[in-house]
Amino acid sequence: MMNSYKLGRVLIFRALSLISVLCSVLLLLVITLGASGYSDKILTSNVDEELRGLRGGLAQTIRDPNELEKVLTSRRHELHVLYGLNDPWYQRIPDTLIDVVTLDLGQAHTLRSYEGSSNISDIVLERLPRTLLLVTTAFFLTALLGLWIGINIATKAGSSTDRLVATFSAISFALPTWWVGIILILFLSIKFHIFPSGGMYSIPPPEAGLERFLDLLSHSILPVFTLVLVSVGPYIYSVRTMTLNIAQEDFISVAKAKGLPNSLIMRRHILRAAAPPIVTSLTLSLIGSLGGSILVETVFNWQGMGRLYFDAVTGKPDEGIIIALTFIFTLLYVAARFFLEVIYLILDPRVRYSS
Amino acid sequence: MDFKEVGHLLIRTKTGKIGVIFFLSLITISIYVGFSYPGNFGRDVWGNPEYWADNPKSVPPSWSNLISSESLVEHTVLVTSKPNELKESEFERIETFRLPVNLFEKDFPSFLSLSFSDIEFSKTPPIISVFLRRPDGSSPLLFRHIPLGPRDDEVNPVLRYNISPMRVVLNNDPNVIINLTKLHNQLNGLELSSRDIGSDGIYATFGNIDKDHSKGFALLDGPYEFIIEVLHKDKLGTLGPIKLVVGGSVYGVMGTDSLGRDLGVGLLFGFPVALIIGILASTLTTGIGTFLGILSGYQGGWVDTCIQRLSDVVANIPVLPILIFLVFMFGSNLFLIILILVAFSWPGLAILIRSMVLQIRTGQIIEASQVLGASNRWIMLRHIFPQTAPFVFAQMIFFTPAAILAEAGLSFLGLGDPSIPTWGQILEQGFRTGAVYQGYWWWILPPGLLIMVTALTFALLALALEPVINPKLRDSQ
Repeated sequence: MMNSYKLGRVLIFRALSLISVLCSVLLLLVITLGASGYSDKILTSNVDEELRGLRGGLAQTIRDPNELEKVLTSRRHELHVLYGLNDPWYQRIPDTLIDVVTLDLGQAHTLRSYEGSSNISDIVLERLPRTLLLVTTAFFLTALLGLWIGINIATKAGSSTDRLVATFSAISFALPTWWVGIILILFLSIKFHIFPSGGMYSIPPPEAGLERFLDLLSHSILPVFTLVLVSVGPYIYSVRTMTLNIAQEDFISVAKAKGLPNSLIMRRHILRAAAPPIVTSLTLSLIGSLGGSILVETVFNWQGMGRLYFDAVTGKPDEGIIIALTFIFTLLYVAARFFLEVIYLILDPRVRYSS
Repeated sequence: MDFKEVGHLLIRTKTGKIGVIFFLSLITISIYVGFSYPGNFGRDVWGNPEYWADNPKSVPPSWSNLISSESLVEHTVLVTSKPNELKESEFERIETFRLPVNLFEKDFPSFLSLSFSDIEFSKTPPIISVFLRRPDGSSPLLFRHIPLGPRDDEVNPVLRYNISPMRVVLNNDPNVIINLTKLHNQLNGLELSSRDIGSDGIYATFGNIDKDHSKGFALLDGPYEFIIEVLHKDKLGTLGPIKLVVGGSVYGVMGTDSLGRDLGVGLLFGFPVALIIGILASTLTTGIGTFLGILSGYQGGWVDTCIQRLSDVVANIPVLPILIFLVFMFGSNLFLIILILVAFSWPGLAILIRSMVLQIRTGQIIEASQVLGASNRWIMLRHIFPQTAPFVFAQMIFFTPAAILAEAGLSFLGLGDPSIPTWGQILEQGFRTGAVYQGYWWWILPPGLLIMVTALTFALLALALEPVINPKLRDSQ
């Protein structure tokens, strides 16, 4: 009873900390929007939109054009008061905040959802699952590979394999994600035609279930591989270092002196102690995957939120989409961080038992 | 651990040695570029399409001849300002310039352009006629040009093409194509119209009609000579240098992009820019992180709480989306990008330094100084900071590649500073114009490799300095 109480308190504390991260990002967004005059622009275009609808309706009943203009002008004035456009931007912060959180950011200029909607929330939310698919797959692969290789390497510290992996980690750390993607396209798709060069499905996409799934799979191999390749190196290295750190502790020497088999020492003693910091360092690869996904989606034309960033910046910029994406990416990150915190708490007995 | 040991780690370990050698090379190239490039390179040279007009577009480097099975045409630029012949009479003066072009390759050049500049006369403009002597003995007139005569309000001497040269792309010029049509009709006894020759006159210039050939022309190899006759009606009329460009299908050491820009020139410029981005961002980040970390650890109390809560929040903000948003809102400026990077990168170090300081401040030196009445500022600067310095230095190196990679990623999304070309931007232009799908490897591979090598240099240095950060590794070596 006491333990779960303690656990809950720590969890709430971490949740509060992460919520304040979200709030500061929101505040940064809203203040930037207000101070740069962009929130005015969104509201004015909303007013114009409403007036355009109104004009069509009124034109049926009011024949005199002068009279019509007069009515519209007074209506415009009312709407300006309603939206608070006559007040300075900092008085509208709460409203803008709600607009961002509910993705009520008006219409996109040029980008459309696949059903043709120009609503920013429709466009962005439609892309969310595609990004999640890419990022979570890459993230779990990175975590599994990193753990497996890192622990194996730690048992052979100082060997030539160990040095090879250390070099690979350094190179992987230095590789620009998106460039790796481009190189893979250049050679594996354009030169040797092994994998498709981009997109999520072939054109036209296969109808049937399994065929469609296999098509998606073959399109996702290169982007997932790219994401894993660049984030797995540093992770392997940190798993190795943390495992080695624990392996040098006195209680491991004791365990060895007792004659316990190596595999048991690794499982019961080393990994048990190294697990919490290993989970913490997964945070780094999470940042890598999430940030990397923006670039990797762009390179592979993977129609997720990352590619949407690129499309929104190109040509006539779609500001609303950029704001919505920044918010959703932060939200995703905070949610994933919280998930890792929970795992950390489960793994680290000190948090539960210390008073 | 002090700086002597840091130096020892860098020079004695293999990774350290490679890192130091790479770093010195980067610095040398950057200094060379810093001294030899014009101040406004980004805007006046790289961003100015006119500067690159005479280069072939999207062609591989010259040395790709060695690995390619096709025989590729070298890019040739000929400039002359001294006439080969001079005929003078009482009323006129004829200058003849001869520009030899030897074509012994298997393929046609990609384009042909001729530029005149600085034409000066008093009353009557000169008449410029361009002939081509071909290996088959024919020497057709390609085109004739008379600069605009003096306007009423102009005073002597009249200047033409002094601000920007007159550039004629011979293979696209309609007059040239009409003249070449006449030539080929004469040679073959045909009655073709200039439409039949096609819009690209390069084949008619350097070829003979051949129905079997895919272009309709077979290359006529041998010595060609461009003969430029300038008829001066004015005794004192002069003419600036004449430039003939035979566009190759290979160019320079690194090839060109779709605007004809020499990629080697742009890539070299990327060296100092990448170093400035990396070093400036990492210095500022470690500076702020160290300062706040020491303050937080030594002062304690509410200062500590504030700084730690702030670090906790800022450390958890995903940088790339925020970076995209802010750069998009405030415009692409390299220093703004660096500042944003710094603003979101310091917390990790501040947290680490604080935990170090908590240990250091229990030491006897600190206690003694406090007893002797040293001010807090003095103690932090003279007693605490020096003990953290090697660690801070190692962290600074560790952070450098992150800044370089972040800028490159941002540039790749099209948010790079347009006035300062970087490797990331060169790649972005390649990606956006479809160079990847065309297989233009010379445009795609080198910039990424350079980003990687630069980042790797700092990663290797950081790897060599790992014992500074992680004391446990010191025992094991």
